Amino acid sequence: MNAVPLVFYAAALAAYWWHFSRRQPAAGRAATTLLVFGALAHTFVIGMQTMEIGHVPIVNASSFVSTLVWLLALAYLYTEMTTGERAMGAFILPLLVALLAIAVFKPGVDESLPVLQGPLFSVHVLSLIVAYASFGLACMIGITYVLLFKEIKAKQLGFFYARLPSLQVLDTMNQQTIILGWAFLTLGIIVGFIWTPQARAYGDPRVQAMSLEDPKIFVALVCWAVYSFEALLARRIGWGGRRAAYLSALGFAIVLLNFVPISYFLTRSHNF
Amino acid sequence: MHLILVGISHRTAPVDLRERLDFQAQGVELALRALIGHGAAREAVVLSTCNRAEIYAACEEVGAARDALVHFIAQFHGIDQAAILPHVYTLADLDAARHLFRVAAGLDSLVVGEPQILGQVKDAHAAAGRAQAAGPVLNRLFHSSFGVGKRVRTETGLGAGAVSIGFAAAALAKKIFGDLTGRSVLVVGAGEMGKLTAQHMKSQGVHRVTIVSRTMAHAARTAEAIGAAAAAPWEELDAALGAADIVITATGAATPILTKGHIESVMRSRRNRPLFVIDIALPRDVEPAAGEIEQVFLYNIDDLQATVNENLARRASEVQRAELIVADEVARFGAWFRSRGVIPTVVALRQHAEQIRRSELERLQFKLSALPPEARARVDEITRLIVEKLLLTPTEQLKSLGDPDTINVYTEAVTRLFGLAQSTNDDAGEPAADDSPKVEPFRTPSGPLDRRKTGRR
Repeated sequence: MNAVPLVFYAAALAAYWWHFSRRQPAAGRAATTLLVFGALAHTFVIGMQTMEIGHVPIVNASSFVSTLVWLLALAYLYTEMTTGERAMGAFILPLLVALLAIAVFKPGVDESLPVLQGPLFSVHVLSLIVAYASFGLACMIGITYVLLFKEIKAKQLGFFYARLPSLQVLDTMNQQTIILGWAFLTLGIIVGFIWTPQARAYGDPRVQAMSLEDPKIFVALVCWAVYSFEALLARRIGWGGRRAAYLSALGFAIVLLNFVPISYFLTRSHNF
Repeated sequence: MHLILVGISHRTAPVDLRERLDFQAQGVELALRALIGHGAAREAVVLSTCNRAEIYAACEEVGAARDALVHFIAQFHGIDQAAILPHVYTLADLDAARHLFRVAAGLDSLVVGEPQILGQVKDAHAAAGRAQAAGPVLNRLFHSSFGVGKRVRTETGLGAGAVSIGFAAAALAKKIFGDLTGRSVLVVGAGEMGKLTAQHMKSQGVHRVTIVSRTMAHAARTAEAIGAAAAAPWEELDAALGAADIVITATGAATPILTKGHIESVMRSRRNRPLFVIDIALPRDVEPAAGEIEQVFLYNIDDLQATVNENLARRASEVQRAELIVADEVARFGAWFRSRGVIPTVVALRQHAEQIRRSELERLQFKLSALPPEARARVDEITRLIVEKLLLTPTEQLKSLGDPDTINVYTEAVTRLFGLAQSTNDDAGEPAADDSPKVEPFRTPSGPLDRRKTGRR
């Protein structure tokens, strides 16, 4: 089902790269159009799954990834339309394509489990999706910041200098997405802690395995520590700019680690 | 009808002559009215900038028009013709069009690709419109040139990149800080270079300029020259460094006045907010190692010059692509321009056919009047369509003709075959014609404009 949006995203990726290297306005418009079609197809897929199972598909790891990609695509489209800046597409789209490819090649279907019904669980998962989507954006923005920073610092004004927005804009965008992501991450974790004792009553072994020793929960807390530092403390001690950009990349690397290897293979608690 | 261009530019004339031939001084519209009133051309546009003074005109005969225009330029500015003749260039028809297209694209500018020229070309055309000097030929020519300018701007990198130190510094500042409004600039040293760079930053919208100099009086004087700038004593240098986003150093000091350690301590106090340091002093005012500090962007005058040179080289590499666009548009304009030569014949042919149709209908009037009105309308419609269809291919063929000789042969043949009366009205009946009211046929003015005196070449 996710294959159709994946094809659109892949085509959009090619168009964004073409636009980024050749800077042809027509290629840029084509890229945005393809991405819009991809997002529409993706909306349709997620809508169908929601109708089928009665809630947004977020329980199984693959459907969670798919929903995350969908949200990232919408978030990126929103920033592109508001800023009129297409250069970031060349950096965001690879992430979308790679993540969705995982979901396509290892599909999973949400089961309707009684333990997973109820508002707390939905809030928990949805907050984390928004948080991870924000961190994904922040990471890509951070990477572009470093690329531009290096060119200016080395006095080699070239490829990225001609294409990217200013360092200040990138830094502000990074900061805002990190704060947004951190707020949702915090909310998601707190709700998770509230939900777990209530869910134990159902006797599901996966809920019994919810503890700090579970790799998924442990790594999520490491993530929270990194992003708390970046969102609350870093700039006060002069860690703005390039250091914040590196932190964003580091944080998202941990998020991806938690997502793919741990979600699919290691965790005993979060594998619904 | 021919196109002609008579002018001087930075390529042919020294600056003092260009200044004397500046039409802006007395007003371009005045010049245009004088020019048209003078009878030197049927249509005219005067393009006058500090680097060129050019008259584009539509005329009947190139040689005579050239002499008339040269005479007009000399007379209008009160200069002896002999003084300007060696510097004047004349181009006709598509060569004139190509020249204008290259000018509009910035290819003929002193700094290749500079953006102001397109606006100046547009202003020149607008002035001609106000003076009622532009007609269908020049309107078409100038609108095409705007298209060329726009295409070159969007499809090539000819205008990309800063090509002066001040612009390069401002472009870098914008790439670091985004918008410069709300940013503050500190100038260390009260010299001329620092003042100029600060003025440039100010024109780019910076919020505040502060001058610090070892001699407070010098700082105050420079601040006054920049306007809306503050002066501060040398003792407040550190505080000023802490508050500034952009620092321009331009003192005459023999040794660096800002060391790496000094800037490091300033950066701590400003919590590593980015600092853009532009060192335009020789010898250097800032220790080069200061560029290693996180969030300090240090550029000296050689670095800026290097980016300027790179941009110039990049522009040069785009010239070829811009020339291709110019050639493309000249060909397109040429097709339209040449097709104008057959228009009188096409119009005459169509009028001839329409006349036959009408007289035949009138002749049959008594038979047709017996028919109901709808049937009469049908007859009218059918005859009109037959004429249209018969003339469609000949019209298209005539309009697609290329070189003037072929056009002559064909118009001659058509005129004879159909017994057309020689039409004198250029564009009458032509659907796309936006002709101005008919003007007096072109005459070479007599007297001082006599060809022998101006020396035709």
